[in-house]
Amino acid sequence: MRQWRNVLFVLIFFCLLSGCGAHRAKRDLIVLLPDQNGKGGVITVTTQGGSQILDKPGYGIEFDDLNKPPVAPKPVEEKEVSDVFAAALSVLPDQTGRFILFILYFERNTAKLTHESNDLLSQVQKTIKSRNSNEVYVAGHTDLVGTEAYNAGLSSKRANTIRDLLVSSGIKPKTLFVSSYGKARPLVPTKDQVPEPRNRRVEVIVR
Amino acid sequence: MNFNRIGKLFVPLATIFILLSMGGNVSPVCASPTVATVQKASGTAAIVRQGQTMSATVGLEIRENDTLRTGPNGSIGVIFRDDTLLSLGPESALVIDKFVFAPGEGKFSIVLRMIRGTAAYLSGLISKLAPDSAHFETPTASIGIRGTRFVVRVEGK
Repeated sequence: MRQWRNVLFVLIFFCLLSGCGAHRAKRDLIVLLPDQNGKGGVITVTTQGGSQILDKPGYGIEFDDLNKPPVAPKPVEEKEVSDVFAAALSVLPDQTGRFILFILYFERNTAKLTHESNDLLSQVQKTIKSRNSNEVYVAGHTDLVGTEAYNAGLSSKRANTIRDLLVSSGIKPKTLFVSSYGKARPLVPTKDQVPEPRNRRVEVIVR
Repeated sequence: MNFNRIGKLFVPLATIFILLSMGGNVSPVCASPTVATVQKASGTAAIVRQGQTMSATVGLEIRENDTLRTGPNGSIGVIFRDDTLLSLGPESALVIDKFVFAPGEGKFSIVLRMIRGTAAYLSGLISKLAPDSAHFETPTASIGIRGTRFVVRVEGK
């Protein structure tokens, strides 16, 4: 009789240890990895209980309960990453570079390229020519200062400035698809009327 | 004989299908474009589209609402149209809830729903052009992705 009671205790003990019942042994896990180009990304994990931000490569967040906030980021050992994710990582395709993105920035309130972006322009032209691309998207944007109507005009002017510069360098107009979005699609979200240099831009996507 | 049976099944099935595709929120199959292609596959790996399972082979095209699924020894790697890279390890399932890459209209969105298993992800152009438009859903959490490389494990049920 007593023996059986001991067995039962041992069973309960192991049950608690292994986390059977309501809790699973392993929790859901997300790990931020270093990016090839060195630019760290940002991951936000949100449950109904709250959210956590993950912005350090090599760190991970555990989460597995809808109603509880995710656990704060912790360093995850490389070995654990390779143990758990080896199969997935081994079939992650190589980057194809099907598209190349250039972002050209403008001086405030003008369709005049910044100094740095002016230098980048020759690289854009070279890329289009070397890829022999017949699909190039040119999209104009502004920051959130000013009215919608004004910025619609400004973003269109910026996009067409780039279009004209590309055409004058010998790129065929029919390969260029020009569009503009005014203040509707900031790259860096800001409040209205906030000047933000990173939003004064033309995106050139070269296929 | 077998052919006859298939033939008999075909008419009602086709009718159901036509009715379904007229149902408003179910979009016709032919209208959904390719959003990604299979680049690598090993072991048991499949694409499930509207209840039909196709074995994943290199070059197979993937559409919105498709489910990627792997068996105990399976893995699969895909490339989306915007150069986003995604791979799954064994015993995994993931649904492509949404994928929009329309640079001419300035529309960008990617929503992936992980049901279980392991995955690796490397952002493509969508994350660079519309940083708040890339999402990864799990049974318990919603994950916002701003231009990055990560791995994720979901235990599932």
